[in-house]
Amino acid sequence: MFRNNYDNDSVTFSPQGRIFQIEYAAEAVKQGSVVVGLVSKTHAVLVAVKRNAEELSSYQKKLFAVDEHAGIAIAGLTSDARVLSNFMKQQCLGHRMTYGRSMPLRTLVDLIGEKAQMNTQVYGKRPYGVGLLVAGVDETGPHLFEFQPSGMTEEMSAFAIGARSQMARTYLERNVESFADCSREELVRHGLLALRESLVQDRELTVDNTSIAIVGLEEPADAEKTKKKTLRPFQLLDGQDVKEWIDASNVPAEGEGEQSGDGDRMNVDE
Amino acid sequence: MEFTTTGMLNEDGIHVDMDRLKKGEVNLGTSIMAVTFKDGVILGADSRTTTGAYIANRVTDKLTRVHDTIWCCRSGSAADTQAVADIVQYQLGLYATRNGKNPTTQTAASIFQEICYANKDRLSAGLIIAGWDERHGGQVYSIPLGGSLHKQAYAIGGSGSTYIYGYCDAHWREGMEEAEAVDFVKGALREAIKWDGSSGGVIRMVVLTEQGADRHLYLPDTDYKVRHY
Amino acid sequence: MTSIGTGYDLSNSIFSPDGRNFQVEYAVKAVENGGTSIGIRCKDGVVLAVEKVIASKLWRPGANKRIATIDRHLGAVYSGMIPDGRHFVDRARDEARAWRDTWKSPIPTADLASRMGGYLQAYTLYSSVRPFGITAIVAGFDPSQPSPVDGEVGRGPSVGPGGVKEGLTHGGPGLYMIEPSGLYWGYYGAATGKGRQAAKAELEKLDLAGEGISLEQGVKEAARIIYVAHDDNKDKEFELEMSWISDVDGPTKGRHEEVPRAVREEAERLAKKALDDDDEEEGKKDDEKMEE
Repeated sequence: MFRNNYDNDSVTFSPQGRIFQIEYAAEAVKQGSVVVGLVSKTHAVLVAVKRNAEELSSYQKKLFAVDEHAGIAIAGLTSDARVLSNFMKQQCLGHRMTYGRSMPLRTLVDLIGEKAQMNTQVYGKRPYGVGLLVAGVDETGPHLFEFQPSGMTEEMSAFAIGARSQMARTYLERNVESFADCSREELVRHGLLALRESLVQDRELTVDNTSIAIVGLEEPADAEKTKKKTLRPFQLLDGQDVKEWIDASNVPAEGEGEQSGDGDRMNVDE
Repeated sequence: MEFTTTGMLNEDGIHVDMDRLKKGEVNLGTSIMAVTFKDGVILGADSRTTTGAYIANRVTDKLTRVHDTIWCCRSGSAADTQAVADIVQYQLGLYATRNGKNPTTQTAASIFQEICYANKDRLSAGLIIAGWDERHGGQVYSIPLGGSLHKQAYAIGGSGSTYIYGYCDAHWREGMEEAEAVDFVKGALREAIKWDGSSGGVIRMVVLTEQGADRHLYLPDTDYKVRHY
Repeated sequence: MTSIGTGYDLSNSIFSPDGRNFQVEYAVKAVENGGTSIGIRCKDGVVLAVEKVIASKLWRPGANKRIATIDRHLGAVYSGMIPDGRHFVDRARDEARAWRDTWKSPIPTADLASRMGGYLQAYTLYSSVRPFGITAIVAGFDPSQPSPVDGEVGRGPSVGPGGVKEGLTHGGPGLYMIEPSGLYWGYYGAATGKGRQAAKAELEKLDLAGEGISLEQGVKEAARIIYVAHDDNKDKEFELEMSWISDVDGPTKGRHEEVPRAVREEAERLAKKALDDDDEEEGKKDDEKMEE
């Protein structure tokens, strides 16, 4: 039997210049349930499907707040995600203390990218087995980043990772042009519709298995005075709080219905 | 640890208080200076070293080489300034061999400053760094007690310098010829030696130009008029 | 490959009987698949350019920068494993900072290249680490005019320093390319990544070592070369990123900066035009051949 000798650790290149351990870690991301993230000019949104180990057990959390202005969605090994999440929380807090303002998102993802890269170059370590979507708002507006076990971090307009996430990505690619000008409601709706694309047959989004997180810039109540949009802090929605969002996404939007052949799916859950 | 806290007037003259010396520590109660001129820089110093009122050495050399054409004038604690100059000399030697090119005066000044600042609570060292390099010509940097770094056209230091601020201000000119600059340094140091009880002995100078380092020595027996070798 | 199955290629730092470190050679393979990076050392500055292949429509245009600033006067770009490149940049920034802490002056480009060459070389020495899967191009401009020591106050004589040696020039543009082995050389024009062969061929036509070209021209050539190098990979879209460094009296005032959008777009327009003209010419040649 042929055996791959080059995949035992993350410090061995294959003759083609690949590092299999990193690629295998990327597979672990695909084992996690799907998460979707999107950004508009004003908001960043994360949505996720939660899984439970068995009928009577609780659902595994998928979305985490990192700081007032940022949060993450995870796919893969949850315990690895916790390490990164704690690290990000600490870094954000430290940045706030030193500079008196929130950490820019690019700075934040670069920090975890650097940390993850180290695990791919030193013997005795392994790559993180988790992928992240990092969403947040900083001085340059809302952002969405994808983080991979390799340490690769890229800014995206919208993205999905996790099991069957290709379907969600296809949905996002079809609609990506419209996201920039979406309202908060439309953005969440697109997120849930993308998420639904990746569900296995006979599964649907429920108040038990769906999480939504929103962060953005919004007009404050006394908008006339300031005219300046202020931060709507990273907000996690679970349980009954997501009901109205799921219900809203089940109703086709005006002029939608006919859209590219998936119109019939939208009405299925009514 | 005991420090003296005031200046004092003794039979042998006025002692300007250096404030940081331990009891009995050897002091370079001093007159030092460095000046830029047309072709480079000149460093000058008196030669008196004291332990309290006692002159421990009357022919001290306070002009210390840290590289071929980078030298320093030392004032304050003899031990401290020698130690610092030794470290810098080593670092500049290392720099030259490692990089295959001579260090600049700036390089030297920045190493001096780093050491003086990092150890400011433990050192009493007032230094003047002067050097010549082909890119920057002659340069003078002063590093007073706290470890700050000052680029100057000329610098004076040590207890004796307090007496010659007026002299230097009146007689200083930019871009002097070598002979004029030597006369300026000599005239200033003569005044410092005359008025400062802690300064005295011979006048030493080092002239740094493209030609390298040239030492001068002037003795009080000939009224500092004749250059000895 | 003769190396496979011998066992000598399974661990870093191991010599094969004929004196090779296969793991380093494999790391080079990782570089050869990456997007093309180039650097051009012009008379009055340096240009860096990189081809960023767009893998997904969901990628946010213009947001993912690949050329990094190491210090005010230094930039770097790399081909290969991007996270390794980030590691390289982080280390280079540490080196530049450490140099400033010690010498109170910016690190010369040559010294940074030397430090980073040493760092990459160290990753070929131990079985507990792997070599970097990148080849990096480092560009810098060492000031031609004397600059003050960081943090100094005051100034010398107003007539200027005496005894400055006449007729000497100092500083100038610097360009270095560092390979996974830690090997580095100075270059007039450097190229790495997938399209390096085509890029090198174009760079060699520029006579950079002789007459040389201006920075302004360099930007245009860099854009064109990235377009030429991408030509074999036509089906995939890409984004061009460029940066430059001039002397203090040039457009970037001695700093490493992204090439302004207007300048880049003009360079891209000319690049596309040059490519189209080439295609036409080739078409003509083919016609001529058919007539034969």
